[in-house]
Amino acid sequence: MRVSLTVTIFTASLMAMVSVSKADPAAGQAVFKAKECVACHYTEGPAKEKTIEDQLAKKGPELWYAGDKFRAEWLAGWLADPKPIRPMKFNSLTEENAGDHPALGAEESATVAEFLMSLTSGEVEAGTVKVKKNSKGRQIFTKKMPCSGCHQYTGRKKVIAGGRSGPSLVDAGVRLNADWILAYLKKPEVFKPVKMMPVFVGLLSDKDMANVASYVGNFKPKKKK
Amino acid sequence: MKKTKIIATLAGIACYVFATPVSASDTLTIYKFYCAQCHGLTGKGDGPNVTKDFPVSPRNFTDAAEMNKLSDADMKNVILDGGPSASKSPMMPPWGKTITGEEADGLIKFLRELCKCEGKKS
Repeated sequence: MRVSLTVTIFTASLMAMVSVSKADPAAGQAVFKAKECVACHYTEGPAKEKTIEDQLAKKGPELWYAGDKFRAEWLAGWLADPKPIRPMKFNSLTEENAGDHPALGAEESATVAEFLMSLTSGEVEAGTVKVKKNSKGRQIFTKKMPCSGCHQYTGRKKVIAGGRSGPSLVDAGVRLNADWILAYLKKPEVFKPVKMMPVFVGLLSDKDMANVASYVGNFKPKKKK
Repeated sequence: MKKTKIIATLAGIACYVFATPVSASDTLTIYKFYCAQCHGLTGKGDGPNVTKDFPVSPRNFTDAAEMNKLSDADMKNVILDGGPSASKSPMMPPWGKTITGEEADGLIKFLRELCKCEGKKS
C-alpha cells in the first residue's frame, strides 16, 4: 500500500514537472485559433458588452478572465471531455443545451488550458475566500436571495435543485475559483456588465458576498467512504 | 451646504422632467432578457426556471384577475426591491441595481398590456 502510494506521488510529481516544462500559453493560443474557438469566445479584455443586444450576439461565454475564473486542474479535463455546464443553450430560454461543445485531444486540452489560465483581469484578489460549509452563505443562496431560482445546485439528500436559466453550480467548487466568485459579485461591471443575473452590489455587503462565494466554492462531489 | 442642496434639488427636478420613457421595443428586450427566465416569454409564469421544484408560482401576467390586485406602484416596488419588499417570495429578485426606474415603468406598461387590465388604483 505504501509502495503504491509512493509510486503514485512520484508519478504525479513527474507529470507536474513535465507539465511545468511544457507550459506555453502561446502554443495554446495557436491551438485556440486553429480550432476556431474564437468564433464563440473572445479572449481579450476588457468586457466588450455594453447592451443586451451585445450580450445576446455572443455565441459563448467570454474567456478573457478564464485564469481568474476556473480551476486549472478542472479546465484541461473539461476541454477534453466537455459536459454541459448550462442546462439551457447559451443565451436561450427555449433551447436545451445540446451538449455539443467540441472536444479537444488530451495534449491540445492541456496546452489550451495553459493559454486560458494565463488570461487574468488583475481584479481578483487571491486567497480572500475561505471555502467551507458556510451557513450564512447557504442562507443567502437558498433563502434570502434568489440565487437558487436560476442556478442548479445539490440540495438536501443529494437531490439536484434550483433553476435552469443560469450556469449550473452543481460541484461548482471543482470548476470555479472562489476568489473569482467574490470578485464577480463585487465587480459585475468588470466581468459581465450585461447579464441576466441581478446586480447585488448595494444589496449584499462585501462580507455576505464572501459568505456566498465561500458556500458556492464548497460545492464539491461527496467523497466516497 | 445650502448651495449643494440647491444643486441636488435642481438635478433631481431635471432628471424628473427630462427622464426619457423607454421605448416599447427596448422594454420587450428587457423583459425577455431579465423577466422571462421565470415569467416566461409570453408572461404566463412558465419560464425555464419554473420546474416542479420551484418554490413559488411566478406571477402569470396574463391573468387579469390577479394582476388587477396590484397597483402600478406595487409592481414598481416589487420589480425594483424584490418580492420580500411586498411580503412575497425572495425568488423575485430586487432588480433596482440592474435596471432603471424608467425601465421599470416601461415594464409595468408592458405588463398592463399583457393582462389587458389597469390594476388597483393607488
